[in-house]
Amino acid sequence: MDLTKAKIRDLRKALDNKEISAPELCAEYLKRIDEQDGKLLSYITVTKEKALSDAENAQKIIDAGKSSALTGIPLAVKDNICVDGVRTTCASKMLENFIPPYNATVIEKLNAEGYVLLGRASMDEFAMGGSTQTSAFAKTRNPYDFERVPGGSSGGSAAAVAASLAPAALGSDTGGSIRQPSSFCGVTGIKPTYGRVSRYGLVAFASSLDQIGPICNDARDCAIMLNAICGADAHDATSARVETPNFTEKLGQPINGLRIALPKEFFSDAVDSSVKACVLDAAKELEKRGAVLVECSMPGLKYAIPAYYLIACAEAASNLSRFDGIKYGFRGEGRTYEELIRDSRSRGFGEEVKRRILLGNYALSSGYYDAYYKKALALKQEIIRQYNQIFESADVILTPTAPTPAYKIGEQDNDPVKMYTADICTVTVNIAKLPGISTTCGYTADKGLPIGMSIIGKRFDEQTILQIADAWESGFVPLAPEL
Amino acid sequence: MAVELKTIEHLCELSKLNYDEDGLKKVMGEMGDIIGLMDEIKGFDLTYDDTKDGNEIRFGDTREDVPAESFPTEKLLANAENTDGCYVVPKVVE
Repeated sequence: MDLTKAKIRDLRKALDNKEISAPELCAEYLKRIDEQDGKLLSYITVTKEKALSDAENAQKIIDAGKSSALTGIPLAVKDNICVDGVRTTCASKMLENFIPPYNATVIEKLNAEGYVLLGRASMDEFAMGGSTQTSAFAKTRNPYDFERVPGGSSGGSAAAVAASLAPAALGSDTGGSIRQPSSFCGVTGIKPTYGRVSRYGLVAFASSLDQIGPICNDARDCAIMLNAICGADAHDATSARVETPNFTEKLGQPINGLRIALPKEFFSDAVDSSVKACVLDAAKELEKRGAVLVECSMPGLKYAIPAYYLIACAEAASNLSRFDGIKYGFRGEGRTYEELIRDSRSRGFGEEVKRRILLGNYALSSGYYDAYYKKALALKQEIIRQYNQIFESADVILTPTAPTPAYKIGEQDNDPVKMYTADICTVTVNIAKLPGISTTCGYTADKGLPIGMSIIGKRFDEQTILQIADAWESGFVPLAPEL
Repeated sequence: MAVELKTIEHLCELSKLNYDEDGLKKVMGEMGDIIGLMDEIKGFDLTYDDTKDGNEIRFGDTREDVPAESFPTEKLLANAENTDGCYVVPKVVE
């Protein structure tokens, strides 16, 4: 079976029609991983034995005629989502040997569907980065050009899907970590509204911003994945008490009359001209299909990077204080408790994680709290207000997903400021708790690198952004990378 | 923006992190650049008002306080080093 860019729904048909069995499908993906991932490095751990066992169980469900959307579908899961009994490293030396004693709620939900776990996808350490080059174990490469980054932090998930080493994957998004790698790797990824998906079992980076979501070959598959993982959860007090709709319901419906806002600040000189032109061409194409383009402004974008980094790092400094080398995680050396903790953290965490902990403690410390952290909270309120204002005259917002296509490995390694400012197109969506989807809108003329556009929706209106992304994709021919 | 050595040392104390001499110099430079970027927020002229922080998202209610089975002790201790039914830490009395 040709697995290149295989969709979940096509695999579903093939499994239900007995064209292929779940163990055979699983074995095909494992073979591809074995052959291709040595150069791509999208997985930290390939769970071969578990995958084959999961597939055997799935086949029994299929044979009994009781399959659901994801029964027997092999998936990759980002390495910061806990899977009972399966090493979950967060791409950090700190958790190199950590084996969770429980499943994240999303994993329980996927188990209920009878999914197959192919392995644990690489990521930036503790999801802090936009290149997957801060991973302690697998510095993933971009399938379109091995000299370039796949984006991050869910770079392993996006690269695995792009290279057809999994038909879909789970990622997490704190400031763009699903959407930006989806853009760099030419796949489709959605960050749901904050609260739509339970965070229970997701290793926390910034608790008010983190959200789990899928990375797939297209918006239709994203809708299928969302149907499986969404819903309120008693284990997560920040999961929302809202009805979970059928996310596939509006797919294929015409987009006539839907109003698409284009905030001018997202198309400034900070964005590469090839990216800008590609996204604006896509907007014009959507207009031809009946959408209405609306010009608008978001002046708060100017301060979005400091606001995001101050909030995210303050929360990270607090969340990561639990890593002390005692209960679990890397244990350093020391004659006293204090020495042990400091040595464990200093040698267990990588440089980028340490920088963010330092920044977070700076923002929260006495004398700086009002000037930085509270100011960032004020800006968060203002960004929410500005989004609400735009949504008074628009149904969705269209922006580039990233200011540039995938850049070369090493290009931003020694420049944290450059790395942080590259998140400008995505962070406000997390700050305002909105849903956003990135889909490919074209490729660079010279190197054939994917360019992504983001469609941002109102809170809990994932259906409309999926509808528009699907409408766009129905007239777009994606190019598979040559491995 | 330049960051003073004593500021970085204070942050290392709060963060429970050690750096050697070269590492400290390097991180001082990086933090100077990062804090310079964060300083841009000072140009934003609004004050945080926590009374306006009403969240329209209806989050889950707190669970009922009902006793339930917890994780087995041996499973929780499986990730710790030197366990003998307990977490073992260095002696703190010298």
